[in-house]
Amino acid sequence: MPTIKTEIITGETRQVGNYQITPLSQVLKIITPGKHASFIWNRPKAVVVRTLDGQEQVLPVTDVTRIAIWLMLAGGVLGAMLVRLIFWNR
Amino acid sequence: MTDEIITDQPAQTGLDVIQDTMDGFLAAADVRAVYGEPIQHDDTMIIPTAEILSALGFGVGSGSGNGTGTDENPDKPWQGAGGGGGGGGRVLSRPVAIVVASPEGVRVEPVIDITKIALAGLTALGFMVGMMFRMSSRRHSLPSIED
Repeated sequence: MPTIKTEIITGETRQVGNYQITPLSQVLKIITPGKHASFIWNRPKAVVVRTLDGQEQVLPVTDVTRIAIWLMLAGGVLGAMLVRLIFWNR
Repeated sequence: MTDEIITDQPAQTGLDVIQDTMDGFLAAADVRAVYGEPIQHDDTMIIPTAEILSALGFGVGSGSGNGTGTDENPDKPWQGAGGGGGGGGRVLSRPVAIVVASPEGVRVEPVIDITKIALAGLTALGFMVGMMFRMSSRRHSLPSIED
């Protein structure tokens, strides 16, 4: 069985003006037995922003392109099923 | 002006190549691969972010055999061995968003790839139109019960 592992990695904190920015990324690793094949999917997860007075805010990084593509493809599949139902009932 | 040929460097073996490739592959799992180098402009700092997909596979094999008899000399024993390997991989990178940090605040601006969205839309539309044509042609080709 392949090893499937997900982890959230914290990056180096950077100071910008009054803000401290810490990037977070999410990694999915799939490694086959014997380590002859591997797959890595690394994507930005969120940015943690800390102000000087201690307030912390998490800004999620949203992949709008991926969401739009999946919505389009899901719409296509649903539309095709709808077309099939309409023609089936005629 | 003379040309020198450096001969004292050790030759890179196949295992070294695989090791280097694996090291480069595992670097894709690092957070620094996803968040790019910050770009400073006056009081504003921009950090580009990208999604990374990488896949790698390789295989090695070896074998040996022995026996007796060839066409020229039927009683002569022989033996042989061989090995080989191969592999391949691919790394894909796609911009996702940019982090804009300024004295006014920090915000995340998405990067929208219109081309990919349009291609997905055309694919979905083609799927629906294809299904419509398929159902329409099936209706016309099937004989009715009275026939």
